[in-house]
Amino acid sequence: MTSEYAIQTSDLTKVYRSRWKRREVRAVDGISLQVPRGTIFGFLGPNGAGKTTFVKMLLSAVHPTRGSALIFGQDARIPESRRPIGYLPENHRFPTYFNGTGMLDFYAALSGMDSTQRRKRIPEMLELVGLEKWGSLRIGKYSKGMLQRLGLAQALIHSPKMLILDEPTDGVDPVGRRQIRDLLTQFEEKGVTIFINSHLLAEVEQFCREVAILDHGKVALSGKMQDLTAGKGYRLSVAQVPEALAEELRGRAASMTSRNGLFDFQFATRQGANEALDLLRAQQCEIESLTPTTSTLEDVFVRTVEK
Amino acid sequence: MNDSFGASIALVRDTFREAFARKIFWGLFGLSTAMILFFLFLLRIDVVEGGLAAFQMFGQTMSPRTDVDRLVRGVYAGIATFQYIWGVFLAVFASAGLIPSVLEPGRIELLLSKPISRVHILLGRYVGNVLVVACNIIYLNLGVWTIVGVKTSIWSPMFLVSIATTIFIFAVLLSVVVLVGVLFDSAALSIMIAVALMIMSPILAQTSTMLRLLSSEWSRQIWRTLYYTLPKVYDIGKMTMDAVQNRTFGGYMPIWTSAVFAVVILAGALTIFARRDF
Repeated sequence: MTSEYAIQTSDLTKVYRSRWKRREVRAVDGISLQVPRGTIFGFLGPNGAGKTTFVKMLLSAVHPTRGSALIFGQDARIPESRRPIGYLPENHRFPTYFNGTGMLDFYAALSGMDSTQRRKRIPEMLELVGLEKWGSLRIGKYSKGMLQRLGLAQALIHSPKMLILDEPTDGVDPVGRRQIRDLLTQFEEKGVTIFINSHLLAEVEQFCREVAILDHGKVALSGKMQDLTAGKGYRLSVAQVPEALAEELRGRAASMTSRNGLFDFQFATRQGANEALDLLRAQQCEIESLTPTTSTLEDVFVRTVEK
Repeated sequence: MNDSFGASIALVRDTFREAFARKIFWGLFGLSTAMILFFLFLLRIDVVEGGLAAFQMFGQTMSPRTDVDRLVRGVYAGIATFQYIWGVFLAVFASAGLIPSVLEPGRIELLLSKPISRVHILLGRYVGNVLVVACNIIYLNLGVWTIVGVKTSIWSPMFLVSIATTIFIFAVLLSVVVLVGVLFDSAALSIMIAVALMIMSPILAQTSTMLRLLSSEWSRQIWRTLYYTLPKVYDIGKMTMDAVQNRTFGGYMPIWTSAVFAVVILAGALTIFARRDF
């Protein structure tokens, strides 16, 4: 438990082979990733990129074909390595014969909590996720958002050092999402590492400190959020641009779009934007606006997976 | 160690919860209760100096054809047979869904994410399942034994042997249910294979006759292999009847060979479960 990394994988690979057709699917292809302790890490990728398989290998639900995974320095294949983990799976299916309290009690017992600890902790967790009034209700009657919050309480109940969350705000209304985000931020402040697998890029951008983008089983891009979205630039909107000039500016700009006679040029540097402005003013073009821009995580994501 | 014990208790309790959330288990207990009530209210036996003075069923006086001791042993044998055949069949039927349900996507990942081994998870479910059915078997047998004992003052402890043998044969068949469940995630297939073993058992038990009838040595060898390898549901049932009726029975081979079968099958199921990707 002395590793400076919460997750450390080396050449982690999973190849699914069909027994009869001899077909091979390389779901995860040699991922070497390091997630520092105490960070909020976003794990992104298009459908089928291998995110869930990677997470399942961390939890030993899927056996790697090659490579290794360490959780706080311990081999992920050892059950004990999962003690500091709280996990919320995507498309979870909690047994409907439980009520909220019973469900938390069951998973807390499996996490190694004794009955005294569980009795104290369960009401606290239900209150934390706003389900204190619903603990005795059968979870078959819970809404999707309530189930998601209960799942989060289940992941948090044994005070884990790391949370692995697969689509944590799936099915939760905007207010609930905000609450979950605030809750996770609180846990980050307590030093808990949070590893999030999500499709909601805007949400990931808001509160993840580091991200990795997975594509076709490989890490296509990774780094600190502020570095990845720091691709600053300038958007110049202009009307009545002569065709020849538009063509010239297209060559200078990072991108150009036009609609209803209005041209949008995206320049990577201030100098580029100023030079274009001079050319446009010289030809009496109507400047609509000049706006500084930054890359969104969505821009980064789309650029990465479309390469 | 304490954590591990707590997790085991939680897994067993979870199996109980799930079993009782299924109406079929209430049906099993309902059936047992109905049988106990039958003996409580409908069986009237008057015993005078060890002989059967009057015997009533459904309020009708029956002709006393035998002594009380034989009648009681007959009642015990009937109950033991009913429970051994139908009780085990219904228990297998009721239990078959308890393995695939725990392997459902979205549920198994969460269980595997906990700091417990896969062997622990599957054994917890197996033991929980055996205990649920054992409760029903003990409830029925002790209930009938107590009622018949109080009404006749004849306490035949050998009837209680059927508790052990019925639980044992259920545990053997459940190992097959677990293996098929882990391999194919199918409750229906588990039932089919377990019931097929029950049906094959009395046929395979006719070993001496069949060995005389079979013409080739290799077919006789196959028959012997099948007989000694597969669980001996019929032979153990017969041993139970002999024990209940205070008759002697020949050897414990059916028990230990069936136990070996269960251990091998369960070990296979645990190995496959430990290697499987979810």
